[in-house]
Amino acid sequence: MVKKIHNPLKIDYKNCIIEDKLLQVKNFENNDIPDLIPVWTLQINPRDSKKIIELIRSLQDKDPISLQHLKRIQKTKDNKFLCVVIFSKEYMEDKDQVITLLQKNDIKYNSISDNVLVPRFAPMIKELVHQWGKKYWPLTWNGNPNDQILNDYVINMDSIKNMLQKIANLSEREYTNGNKFPIVTAFVDPINNNVKIVTTDKRSCKDGFALDHSIMLAIKKVSTLQKMFKENKDPINMTSYLCLNYDVYTTHEPCSMCAMALVHSRVKRCIFIKPMSMTGALRSDSGDGYSLHDTKVLNSKYEVFQWLGDEYANIPELDPNVCC
Amino acid sequence: MTWETIMTHKEHMATAVKLAKYALDKGETPVACIFVDKITNQIVAYGMNDTNNSLNGIAHAEFMAIEQIKLRFSNDHKGFAEFCSNCIVYVTVEPCIMCASALKQLRIHKIYYGCGNDRFGGNGTVLSINNNMSTLGYDGSIFQQKSIPGLYRREAIMLLRYFYVKENKRSPNPRAKLDRNLDTKNFPNINWSQYMDRKLFGQEFGLNNLRNYDSMTDLEDYKSIDWDLIDSHYDSIVRDIKKEIKQFKQKENKKLKI
Repeated sequence: MVKKIHNPLKIDYKNCIIEDKLLQVKNFENNDIPDLIPVWTLQINPRDSKKIIELIRSLQDKDPISLQHLKRIQKTKDNKFLCVVIFSKEYMEDKDQVITLLQKNDIKYNSISDNVLVPRFAPMIKELVHQWGKKYWPLTWNGNPNDQILNDYVINMDSIKNMLQKIANLSEREYTNGNKFPIVTAFVDPINNNVKIVTTDKRSCKDGFALDHSIMLAIKKVSTLQKMFKENKDPINMTSYLCLNYDVYTTHEPCSMCAMALVHSRVKRCIFIKPMSMTGALRSDSGDGYSLHDTKVLNSKYEVFQWLGDEYANIPELDPNVCC
Repeated sequence: MTWETIMTHKEHMATAVKLAKYALDKGETPVACIFVDKITNQIVAYGMNDTNNSLNGIAHAEFMAIEQIKLRFSNDHKGFAEFCSNCIVYVTVEPCIMCASALKQLRIHKIYYGCGNDRFGGNGTVLSINNNMSTLGYDGSIFQQKSIPGLYRREAIMLLRYFYVKENKRSPNPRAKLDRNLDTKNFPNINWSQYMDRKLFGQEFGLNNLRNYDSMTDLEDYKSIDWDLIDSHYDSIVRDIKKEIKQFKQKENKKLKI
């Protein structure tokens, strides 16, 4: 994790654009409603707070949920005692286990509870800090959490340009050769960058059919390769669980089928070039505004970027009614 | 809808449930489907979840059935498209968003399913792909697709519960779920209005059942679990279904010759 000022990438935090070219595609709806999670809280005497703070410090890196955006301690209403968030319920679910841990660390407390719900993440705007703090639990403001997300992206512009050039050129070639759906996708294995799977849409081919979208074909190809490697016990190093952490490059914004297939396949990132205003399922203003990669109820999430430069203008325009 | 057609739907869903149980016995996720030709009412394809075996996260039951139909038509795009638009799909669990999108793009005539898919459901639970504007038919057409839940809902839920007491060894972070008790008594309500309006419910299940719509309860026919159905083993189910598909093909071929 580099500090913002040391990041070699040029990041426009306001407009969420990296190096003037990569637009972070996010679901901007429901940002004012927090995701709530349960935490363990203790009511304590102010004089016993020192040991508890030590305990919190020693455990905060182990907690799967970062609670850095919370003020850990607040006074009770009668001002006599303190109420402290110790860790998330996800870190430790069983009450007896929590009590044993507290005993072991010689922590004195009046009562313990898992009834408190706190926001999972800090709000995107400062105005909500006070509002949520009043409603749920006091929060601190460390800036827009999305700034940190933008800052933490691992981006290699050269390899991205290289892959996008490849699929754009192939898209143009497909179109010239008569493919009415010149949609091209590349999957890159995170462990072995030599494993690059490039597919073209086959629905207008003789032996293709209506659902042979390039992304679906790429996922199928990955699993076929994995199966081959597994059966031949080939020593080649290849990710062996679905398309876990793959980078996906595609010429056109995916449809609901393909965007969801990427969720199921656990890819890490998808970069597309041409938005599909009618049928796209990633941009919040495309189609029905699904942003399938960034939906709370679906258990997986992947990063999505749209290329904003005009470098790949050779990609043919498609009928807006085409699902890609 | 007549009593006979209601019974037909029930029978077809029972076949899908048996197939799902068969998948469970083979160590797969217990989700299965059959595709039925709406004109002859015969099974034309079947599918079971194959994600574990194929190492492919998108090898869902619906896609396995579509593959079968695809093989029959190889180069005949038009024939394939027309065939799909005459199919009714019976699937034990609500299609996920991806499958719902696939079924919509293929212009499948209608869908019946057992229980909702709380995490990924694309026919009403999480999203309503079947009635949306952004998922179009393969020919660019906008249309609405009927998708009806509730047939053998509790049986479909029970099969999933049987499965979840086991763990997924392939996942990078397998979670032990062995200590969980198998709940055989409690079932969530079904909020019908999430899936269909009152009018369609009346058409599908009869006006006398509208109270179930309002009280969010299972249809009378499906209130008590058919334990025999989900606790039996169906070693010959695939063979039986294949036989029926073969019969259908033979009839179709005869028709073509005439």
